[in-house]
Amino acid sequence: MKRLALLALCLLLASQALAASKELYVYNWSEYMPDSVLEDFTKETGIKVVMSTYDSNEALYAKIKMVDAKGYDLIVPSTDFVARMRKEGLLAPLDKSKLANLGNLDPKLMNRPFDPDNTYSVPYMWGSTAIAVNTKDPAAASVSTFADLWKPELKGKLLLPNDMRGVLGMGLKRLGLSLNETDPAKVGQACDLLMPLMASVRVFDSDSPKQALLNNEVQVAVLWNGEAFIAAGENPDIRYVYPKEGFSLWVDNLCIPKNAANVENAHIFIDYLLRPEVAAFICQEMGYSTPNLAAKAILPEDVRTNAIVYPSSEDMDRGEFETDLGPAVKAYEECWMRLKTE
Amino acid sequence: MRNDGFFKRAVIIGTVGWMAVFAFVPNILVFLASFCSTSSENFIEPGFSLHNFARLMDRTHLEILLSSLRLSGLVTFICLVTAYPFAAILARTRKPLRGTLLLLVVIPFWTNSLVRTYAMTAMLNSSGIVNNVLMSLGVIDAPLAMMYTPGAVVLGLVYTLLPFMILPLYAALERLDRRYLEAARDLGASPWRAFWRVIVPLTMPGIVSGCMLVFLPGIGMFYVSDVLGGAKAMLLGNFIRDQFLTTRDWPLGAAASVTLTVLMVLMLLLYWKSAARLGKEAA
Repeated sequence: MKRLALLALCLLLASQALAASKELYVYNWSEYMPDSVLEDFTKETGIKVVMSTYDSNEALYAKIKMVDAKGYDLIVPSTDFVARMRKEGLLAPLDKSKLANLGNLDPKLMNRPFDPDNTYSVPYMWGSTAIAVNTKDPAAASVSTFADLWKPELKGKLLLPNDMRGVLGMGLKRLGLSLNETDPAKVGQACDLLMPLMASVRVFDSDSPKQALLNNEVQVAVLWNGEAFIAAGENPDIRYVYPKEGFSLWVDNLCIPKNAANVENAHIFIDYLLRPEVAAFICQEMGYSTPNLAAKAILPEDVRTNAIVYPSSEDMDRGEFETDLGPAVKAYEECWMRLKTE
Repeated sequence: MRNDGFFKRAVIIGTVGWMAVFAFVPNILVFLASFCSTSSENFIEPGFSLHNFARLMDRTHLEILLSSLRLSGLVTFICLVTAYPFAAILARTRKPLRGTLLLLVVIPFWTNSLVRTYAMTAMLNSSGIVNNVLMSLGVIDAPLAMMYTPGAVVLGLVYTLLPFMILPLYAALERLDRRYLEAARDLGASPWRAFWRVIVPLTMPGIVSGCMLVFLPGIGMFYVSDVLGGAKAMLLGNFIRDQFLTTRDWPLGAAASVTLTVLMVLMLLLYWKSAARLGKEAA
């Protein structure tokens, strides 16, 4: 009897150890990685991927901090949050010797101030936050600047991201300021400017804003380029506009939380995502720009030259990357609460 | 007999233990957090101050609270007037059919309420089922804007919470002794009067528990407001969620949560007081 119990215990422990070595918990943005990529990865390696999703960096950060950087093996924060989480010791350093495909990445996007030497992060995808319009609607078709969104004709036809920096960035850009403005007075000024715009907003959505655009609920949407890419693929009347005042650019990065359980598997998966054919497939499916030069080279012509995926260098000059705001984030948060409640 | 005692004890200990670990302790933590402060390094900095409650008293926060109470009150009222006749009919229906009807009330619970809320968008959006049917019938020319309105939030909440009103009302109405009603009629009360003076007071416990089960979730179900209301914060639940996840001001979120709990307890106490007084007067 005793021996039987011991055997059962051994089996239980072994099965748990086995299960642990064959699992990977990914916490990712919603609509950011095709399911088939996960299935193919599992087929090839036998590692089961469990993916859950979030819709804002703030939500990701709060969860990771709350669970003490345990429970997830791979996360995809934007640059500003990589900087913050790195400083707070929430990330584990990457073992570059396990990332054979690292050389495929664009050197211009590597070794940036938010993570020198890419000790903790490798870029997954980058993109822009700009304006998608349904050209069937005359008022929407004429939009070329952020300022146009304040037009009374667009009242009730507007979608904004449910994202603090995305919305505040519009106000700052309209004032000709940086997206990363740290002067609370200027942030407050942008906030005052945005206040009347709130009456025009039909919906805030960062999960799947293309739905409201495709269902004709809204005619103008401030969203990420990948969402615009998919929407334009389904409805040719939808156009993506890089506003005259400038717009936000961002890079999302693959990182391993400090106390992740399956660090080895996370490295295998990162290296898998860095393969040219995998990165190129994700780019085509999701419509965001890949930082992977080898992948870009094998992209079909129509994706590589698509202005939604890869803005022209003229448009690109007006783009600005978001950085960590430090303590100035308080002013942003206060404004965001005001915008959402008043 | 000995086994019976063991079973009884196990059930009681199990339930009490469960409640202690998953309800009492978290609530105590929320209560304690509401007196703390926050910093950029830690969500919660130990300390004691009423600062967070004072911050809740400003105009913006009070407006959120009031509009949330109003919206949830409306939802509760609609649920009550819809569920009451339904529960009354249900209580009088013959046995086999009654079981089927009860099952139909419960079946929606087999699907997650978040999924059902998303399913409602397929009904309500501009190119959704409701608009398509109305347009093909020629009732309307252009699609109605139903999504992302307060009306859609009310509809979503009523839909999700209606069974929580039906079930306690049904339990109360089923227990109702029909002879009281006959007596009232014999003594000359009109049907209307008999309803207000006899049926309603006798089913008051069911009405109160139904209202409680609808009113409190009605304030807190933030995802309904997110999905159907377009994330324009309207419910206190959205505000609390935003404090915990977006702005990471946990103590303020905790204070809002505690305030809500205190409000509910006060309302219950008020009900018990008045019920006790009414009972005394009647005696």
